[in-house]
Amino acid sequence: MNAEIVVIAEVAAEGQPAPVSLELIAFAKSLRRNAAEPIRVFLPGRGIGAAAAELARLPGVAVTGIEGESLASYSAEAWKEALAPLLAARKTRFICVSHNANGADFAPGLAVRLGAACITAVEAFRIEAEGPIFSLSILKGKLQMEIVPEAETAVVTLLPGAFRRGDAPSSPMDKARKDGTNTTQNETVLLPEEFRRKEIPPTGVTTLKEKKSEVQGDRAGPPAAEMISVPDIPLKTRPLGLLPAPDEAADLAAAEVIVSAGRGIGGEENIELLRRLAFLFSRAAIGASRAVCDAGWLPCRYQIGQTGKTVSPRLYIACGISGALQHLAGMRGSQYIVAVNRDPQAAIFRVADVAVVEELVSFLPLLIAACRKHREGAAEAGR
Amino acid sequence: MKILVCIKQVPDAEAPIRIGADGRSFAVTGGAWRMNRFDEFAVEEALQIREAFPGTVVEALSVGPARAAAVLRRALSLGADEAIHILREGEEEPLPGEVAALIAAYVRDRGYDLILAGVMAEDDMQAQTGPMLAERLGLPCATAVVAETIPPNGMTIRVERELEGGLREALEMPLPALLSLQSGINRPRYPALSHVLRARTQPMMTVRAGDLPAPPRRERVVLLFLPAPAAKTLFLTGTPAEKAERLAELFREKALL
Ligand SMILES: Cc1cc2nc3c(=O)[nH]c(=O)nc-3n(C[C@H](O)[C@H](O)[C@H](O)COP(=O)(O)OP(=O)(O)OC[C@H]3O[C@@H](n4cnc5c(N)ncnc54)[C@H](O)[C@@H]3O)c2cc1C
Repeated sequence: MNAEIVVIAEVAAEGQPAPVSLELIAFAKSLRRNAAEPIRVFLPGRGIGAAAAELARLPGVAVTGIEGESLASYSAEAWKEALAPLLAARKTRFICVSHNANGADFAPGLAVRLGAACITAVEAFRIEAEGPIFSLSILKGKLQMEIVPEAETAVVTLLPGAFRRGDAPSSPMDKARKDGTNTTQNETVLLPEEFRRKEIPPTGVTTLKEKKSEVQGDRAGPPAAEMISVPDIPLKTRPLGLLPAPDEAADLAAAEVIVSAGRGIGGEENIELLRRLAFLFSRAAIGASRAVCDAGWLPCRYQIGQTGKTVSPRLYIACGISGALQHLAGMRGSQYIVAVNRDPQAAIFRVADVAVVEELVSFLPLLIAACRKHREGAAEAGR
Repeated sequence: MKILVCIKQVPDAEAPIRIGADGRSFAVTGGAWRMNRFDEFAVEEALQIREAFPGTVVEALSVGPARAAAVLRRALSLGADEAIHILREGEEEPLPGEVAALIAAYVRDRGYDLILAGVMAEDDMQAQTGPMLAERLGLPCATAVVAETIPPNGMTIRVERELEGGLREALEMPLPALLSLQSGINRPRYPALSHVLRARTQPMMTVRAGDLPAPPRRERVVLLFLPAPAAKTLFLTGTPAEKAERLAELFREKALL
């Protein structure tokens, strides 16, 4: 008996399917036991006809648009009310949700309502005979945890972008396989190449068309999305609208070198050390982890990460930053990453090109002196 | 108003971590445990609401083994009025679904107007316990909350949730409700001496997890592993001065300096 895999998709502000939803569909496809296993995409919202039709053009997926007045703007309550009855009536192995602000908001409650397993912030998985084993980061990325659902249905949230660089951590099993020490059929599946090697274009439209011919082994999806409408849901929560992120000087975006402060700098007084280091480079700026902004050591506009700015400078120097995924989300596109941290196990070192295991407060003055010397050396040579 | 704050004891992630022989548990060298940082914001927010609404009672609750009592003492020393320890023996960490079910079993019908939790635990980083607890109790819920206000009548709560890139969403919910709080919503205070002294001797309520209805277990941890360092990462060696010198050279070679 083929049980289906469900994807809960969402619409981006422009009425197009959100890029994270395309990533989710690719994820769902690689969870299938065989290419005949159906994938059903649910798209809740209001005025979502065009986005649903767009998704229905993807090969190998069936799309149901869920239209409703109560779904005009996101609310966990409305999403759970609309989705749970539809999902409870189906035989579903996996319900795939994005681990973004909204997905992380409704998915755990949905799992409880359905009596389903719940595995969140998934970064990678491997397929075993019993099914997929999911892996996720724990302890600020210092450890990976492999976990399996033990219920008929599992709600799984996928960390957005975790696969995009193709460097998601792999399990010891893979290493064993690569070394030829393991001859089983274990397969670690990451997303298809096109989803992890490059950023998903924001509109999504052209890629969808292109991909139709690229994807093999998929049967063509139905020509149109199924549309159902849900009656008004009486809601306790009243949405009051979106508030824009404070629009502050975007000097971080233009910077070629970012010296970024983490909690490990120990206090506001040490920011001056980072400033002195940054001063030695041209087009340099100071950045920060959320912990530093929360503590008030630097204003929020310096924050880099999932809920802050996304940067991709030529050089990123992470000072006392542990490397939590929410921080990496904003800086892993940097061209050259240097990390200074006293903990040799810190997760930041896994994205770094150069790792320095040292105490910051004693190391930074040495680095500043060395850089100054080299700059002056260069100036001499240039004369 | 009656407020419940759910707090978790987590290992200090900066200490070296080893994986246990079973492959499913870990040990932190030095064994340092602390209050989950996101929960510190939840305790602080509850105390600030109490200041705004005199007569409010703040209760802190934690599910965990005997050592978890330390975070409850910490909550008392910060100013919480009462502490409830759901004592769950065993070093193996319970998964969020189990924790939410245990808390729900205790909390049900106890008349809390507001339940606060941290947006996630720093150890398992699953961000499930809060929204699962709300679902079990049938409460409206908002996660990743960065601002909250309760109008003087105390009937509703207005919150701002944080979305991607610093965008915020405002919503209003009737009380009782559950919020999971994002870091930065406030500046957690330090314990006051008078509270510290009281916390040392104040009795806590202990409820044995075994006396509550058995929670479901719908997930199983298979394996923990230390990810290998990326092959491309160059670890600098030598004295601090040698490392600094080498790094400066690298900057020059890359034409960054
Ligand atoms: C929904 C959500 C969104 C989030 N968004 C973001 C975001 O946009 N940006 C962000 O940064 N975080 C974000 N976070 C928070 C994130 O999970 C981490 O808590 C945060 O990034 C930690 O900051 P940190 O690395 O500075 O601090 P910590 O994790 O505390 O790390 C400090 C590091 O400094 C090292 N250290 C300590 N002392 C020294 C010393 N003397 N010398 C050298 N090294 C030292 C330690 O070994 C440690 O690795 C978000 C969390 C959630 C739940």
